[in-house]
Amino acid sequence: MFSRRFDLAVKYGVVALGGVATIVFAIVYFAARNQVADVGYRPQQPVPFSHKLHTGELQISCQYCHAGVEMSAHSPIPTTQTCMNCHTAVKPESPRLARVRESMETGIPIEWVRIHKVPDYAHFNHSRHIRAQIDCKSCHGPVESMGVVSQYKPLSMGWCLDCHRNPADNIVGARPISGVFTGQLHDVNNLLDSTYIFTPIAAQIGESKPIVSPSFGMVETALPAHEVDGIPHPKKAGLGPENCSTCHY
Amino acid sequence: MNAPRKIPILVLVLIGALGIFTTLVLAGRITWFAEQPPMEYLPNMDHQFKAIPQSGNSFFADRKSLRDPVEGTVARGVEVYLLGQGDVDSAEVHNVDPNLKQSTFLLSRGQNRFNVFCAACHNFDAKSRSKLVQRGSWVGIPDLTMEHARTLSNARIFHIISSGQNLMPSYADKIQPIDRWAVIYYLRTLQARAVKSQ
Repeated sequence: MFSRRFDLAVKYGVVALGGVATIVFAIVYFAARNQVADVGYRPQQPVPFSHKLHTGELQISCQYCHAGVEMSAHSPIPTTQTCMNCHTAVKPESPRLARVRESMETGIPIEWVRIHKVPDYAHFNHSRHIRAQIDCKSCHGPVESMGVVSQYKPLSMGWCLDCHRNPADNIVGARPISGVFTGQLHDVNNLLDSTYIFTPIAAQIGESKPIVSPSFGMVETALPAHEVDGIPHPKKAGLGPENCSTCHY
Repeated sequence: MNAPRKIPILVLVLIGALGIFTTLVLAGRITWFAEQPPMEYLPNMDHQFKAIPQSGNSFFADRKSLRDPVEGTVARGVEVYLLGQGDVDSAEVHNVDPNLKQSTFLLSRGQNRFNVFCAACHNFDAKSRSKLVQRGSWVGIPDLTMEHARTLSNARIFHIISSGQNLMPSYADKIQPIDRWAVIYYLRTLQARAVKSQ
């Protein structure tokens, strides 16, 4: 019915179309995953703030600016007052800080661009993780060496569960630079080394065990006193709970 | 015959390299940095119409969701430090040292808070030779292990932390009152150690 040439053209055409469709589907499928689409998001901030300078070189602790992360689900972006704690004396005339001074005078906050965000139906509680002596680096990467901060981990649900099921391989223990409270006195000489880890996670995990019945992904951990002398007591890192209502509430 | 063959090989190598690079990026082995926010194929309920902490809000003139407390009110459970920088004499009476038992736990809390909030300028050993001072960015930060600082009372140091002194700002919003006492106890151990090593 059709000529031999037309027949061949249809055959090759179908194969070529199928091939192109497969490649496009593969690219979209893999590129849409969080570890490709979200990791590496590095927006320009309104003030060219360098974490590498402040944390890496000047050794200012994470919690100096992100104070309150121990007590709050949200890790606060520092107030303009926090910037001005030092910048009233350090480089007070710098043109790069014009936006900060303007914010201080008008009282209108600087609109920093948010990088790390879980969906609004999932809740991540910073204080719970900090209290378990989990270092900021576990999720945010080596911020002390980043000039401009970018998203470092995918923040997907599978990634969360990876750590909850297998903390020893995925979590970094408290380091000096992060200001995570460990409940132990430390040698002052170790404090200058940002790679030093106070208490490796692997050593703390043995004490937590999954609850078998009823098995809603709950974990039993040896709990120390909640507060001692009015100071929140750090807990030990362990297996994370896996039931839905841990994060979706 | 040679000339037309060479170009396809070069093109093949380039296509192969591009293929390997694309595969590595798609596998998440190479980070692709971007200034644009990530594309969302199915946003579902990722962004809900609600105020989350520190979010922006075009409804208010100052563009923030978080509202300031009504003037003259204090949040529950918050201790406001009322004395100004100059009220040195009343600070001695006002700040009563709770005389907590100086357990390792309390001192470690003091060490933790000291390293976070004080060490940026005063350094981890309280001798004020921090990286910031070594760079010459801020001159005239006093050594906290010197005679003058050692003779100050606990109540006076509490006052300095709470309301600031000279260029040092108030840390009342950052360090809880109980932690301020822990910091003072820890500072005393640093001073004792400095005296011993002199």
